[in-house]
Amino acid sequence: MAGNGLDKERLTWILTQMTRIREFEERVKGTFEEHPGVIRGHTHLADGAEASIVGSLAALRDDDQLLTTYRCHGYPVALGTDPKALMAEIYGRSTGICKGYGGSMHLTDVSRGFMGTSGIVGQGIPHATGAAYAAQIRKKGQVVLCFFGDGASKQGAFHESLNIASLWKLPVVYIMENNNYNVVTRTEQEDANAAAGEPLAVKAKAFSMPGVTVDGGDPLAVYDVVSAAVERARAGEGPTLVESLVYRLSAHGNIIVPPGIPLHFPEHEAIEVFGNVEEYEAAKRGDPVPRFRSKLVTDGTLTPEEADAIAQSARDEMAAAVTYGVESPFPAPDDAVKYVYA
Amino acid sequence: MAREQLPYIGAILEAIREEMQRDETVLYYGQNIATTENDPFLQAFGPDRVRVTPISETAEIGMAVGAAVAGYRPVVELYMAEFMLVAMDQVVNEANRFHYMSGGQVKVPVVLKAGYGFTAGWAGQHTGTIYGMFMGVPGLKVAVPSTPADAKGLMTASIRDDNPVVFFHHYLLTLEHGDVPEGEHVVPLGQANVAREGSDVTIVGIGWTVGKALAAAEQLAADGVSAEVIDPRTLAPLDTATILASVEKTGRLVVVDQSTRHGSAAAVIAAEVASEGFSSLKAPVQLVCALDATIPYSEPMEEYILPNEAKIVDAVHQVLSPTAA
Amino acid sequence: MAVEGGAGRELLRTMWRIRVFEERVGQLTRADEVHGLVHLSSGSEGVAAGVCGQLRADDVVYSNHRAHGHAIAKGAPLAGVMAELMGRDGGLCRGMGGSMHLVDAAHGFLGATGVVGGNVPLALGSALAGRLQGGDQVAVVFFGDGAVQGGIFAESVNLATLWGLPVILVCENNGFAEFTPRSAHTNVERVSDVVSPYGLERETVDGNDVGAVRDAFARFLAAARAGGGPALLECLTVRLRGHYEGDPQLYREALAADEWQELDPILRLQRRGLEEGWLEADAPARLEQEARDEVEDAVHAARESPFPPPGLTVELVYAP
Repeated sequence: MAGNGLDKERLTWILTQMTRIREFEERVKGTFEEHPGVIRGHTHLADGAEASIVGSLAALRDDDQLLTTYRCHGYPVALGTDPKALMAEIYGRSTGICKGYGGSMHLTDVSRGFMGTSGIVGQGIPHATGAAYAAQIRKKGQVVLCFFGDGASKQGAFHESLNIASLWKLPVVYIMENNNYNVVTRTEQEDANAAAGEPLAVKAKAFSMPGVTVDGGDPLAVYDVVSAAVERARAGEGPTLVESLVYRLSAHGNIIVPPGIPLHFPEHEAIEVFGNVEEYEAAKRGDPVPRFRSKLVTDGTLTPEEADAIAQSARDEMAAAVTYGVESPFPAPDDAVKYVYA
Repeated sequence: MAREQLPYIGAILEAIREEMQRDETVLYYGQNIATTENDPFLQAFGPDRVRVTPISETAEIGMAVGAAVAGYRPVVELYMAEFMLVAMDQVVNEANRFHYMSGGQVKVPVVLKAGYGFTAGWAGQHTGTIYGMFMGVPGLKVAVPSTPADAKGLMTASIRDDNPVVFFHHYLLTLEHGDVPEGEHVVPLGQANVAREGSDVTIVGIGWTVGKALAAAEQLAADGVSAEVIDPRTLAPLDTATILASVEKTGRLVVVDQSTRHGSAAAVIAAEVASEGFSSLKAPVQLVCALDATIPYSEPMEEYILPNEAKIVDAVHQVLSPTAA
Repeated sequence: MAVEGGAGRELLRTMWRIRVFEERVGQLTRADEVHGLVHLSSGSEGVAAGVCGQLRADDVVYSNHRAHGHAIAKGAPLAGVMAELMGRDGGLCRGMGGSMHLVDAAHGFLGATGVVGGNVPLALGSALAGRLQGGDQVAVVFFGDGAVQGGIFAESVNLATLWGLPVILVCENNGFAEFTPRSAHTNVERVSDVVSPYGLERETVDGNDVGAVRDAFARFLAAARAGGGPALLECLTVRLRGHYEGDPQLYREALAADEWQELDPILRLQRRGLEEGWLEADAPARLEQEARDEVEDAVHAARESPFPPPGLTVELVYAP
């Protein structure tokens, strides 16, 4: 049975983090309506991927590390970074986790092992590979998780990095969150394996690396697969490619327009571009957050009241993060020229 | 009866469409285009000439070079200038060199269409102005239109040119409307435009900063300063003759560029004038560039970094009465 | 089907021309008549001959920095190649390209490139153009085992497979990428295993058995001409010389002479030709001498060719 060996405390932690991530992302999305103009540029939400994110992070030790894509809000929320600092960053305030320098796509919390992101598809994969190299020679048994999407697996950087990691037996786990879309393109339109009906995990064969596909909507299944990969890495046996099947419930990101036109989230591309309402409705029915909540309640791990309390607590916490963000000061303009060099 | 004005982006797409109609060897491909049957380019030209590609800039650009050498004229949709960086080898070390190293046997008529300068909260990796990296690359041409009409004319010229062209279009100008000639409209590469005539000072603007320069010129006119504004329109080859002629008339030069100083076209223009037009100058050249920093996310900091009308006006006052160093 | 008769003699002729040409270029490099960075293909003549001998002028070939043999096998005149190496106006590229940038468009050799892997997407473009033009031309790209780990290679394989392009990827796997053995580049030994996730046709052959190269390539060529997609032919071969001329090769043990005698594609085919009777007893010596004469004529012609006018550097930057 998936998740064997996880006690009530751990299972509760998993549901709590999934709920907190969902609530955080809902509040980010809500900011476009409640506080128009506060979020500028482009933001990408992880609603729908909570089980994959939390199931993966549940396998980590405190001194392990991770790097992700620009769809990065969920990870620091689960790691324990103060959501106030995260929201303030997304709002460009000096109290943000990056002091307003990075914004939504570039959250970082080095104190918790979240070493950074890249806004360029696939280019964070070499970064994570380098972090794993450092971990290897530091000899403290640390492991690095590298998160990226299915679109990144067509980038040369993906291939170049996985080859080296396999050759050097680097302590890294490559987690590909396959949500079947790259903005408005479906994976089978751009990937020879997907076009042939194969799971993308087969790409691991090119690197003599184990490749495994897992239901990214089931946090315990993800936990099992990622833990095994983490232990393999920690034992010095090298990397693994994990293909985690998820469905993102929001569009790729908010619409892209020049200033003057209000930003908002359009419908998911399944509907807006492909007219495939049924695919989207099915994904909503399989929403991993209520699904896991139901599982814990029906198997008696949590009472409905305990589950409700988790949800309420998350709502309160993230509402406070929004308030904190809008009330936070902006950086001084001439702060712009700091941090150019260390 | 003149037609309605077109937005900048519409003018560019009109040029691509009209050239594809005129010449069946023109291709248009890139990421996230033509993924559904009702895409207008796909409907007009079919799935051979219009395709979606995966995120593989290196392969996309390299493939464009190979198809060009074999007789096609690909236009590659790259979206953002920074997305070329992962494939720089193909842009500055392959596409541009083929004609030369083959002793003239082959040519590479490729257009790399790349948006730039999206300083609207897009943060450090999506907002750069990097055309400076592509100037001075032998064999490569660089176009930077500032108006919808020029956008159409330069795209047409770029597609017809037998050399690789990097076509930079500014994201903040995307929906700026303007009069755009219907039908065939060519703006030759390498030809600057005098956007406003004047006699007291020459202001050279590039892309988005042309509009800033024109606004500054209005402000200055109210103070009795007559500014001439020049838009180079192409950065490689650069029309230094037009700029030098203007500086000969005014004796004073301000160059406004959204790039960082040492990566700017402004530095190149200033060097050209200093070396070829020194005797015309009555004051040192002033550069108004972005400060030397990655574009920060937060709005007040972002504004602080960039050129604006006030900085341009200050620079003009500097060249009119230079203070001692 | 075993190589024999006229076909066998033709393959031997091509291999001898390459063998002697490369040997002569090595001498000229040491004598400082050929300048710059030179990479010789001595040892892998069987691959060039086995592949290019079956191609038409309208089939396009791209190669890498180790391109002399491919250019010659594709039909580039020896004098033109030699003059190019000497930087003369009579060279294939009027002296503008040199060893790593040979181009002979008239024979469909679109050229050598100096950046590893940079040639692979170019071949995709040629294949795409051929398909769009409705003909049955194919594109062939030569690269080494070192190129296979590059991002460019993987991106190209995905796209070529997805779009079914008629490109044949020919890998000369000589076990070394510059100064390091394959094991320092990847833990996947066979290049054909690296592309296995994409399901394209692939085969590994003994690259020093020119008949095996010819047969395998013939099958891939027929499939591509019939509208098929990409294929990969991995030829296990030997790089007799260093990565470049002047490389002291401290990183590898020299191949013993008697070991090379067994592997040498020329000697092997000649032995068989003599045994099977389609080669006369004096044929090996005669073929070698003919090659020497032809190469010497090329050297002579190259030495007579003037250097290009300096103004050519400016004239050729842009197409008019």
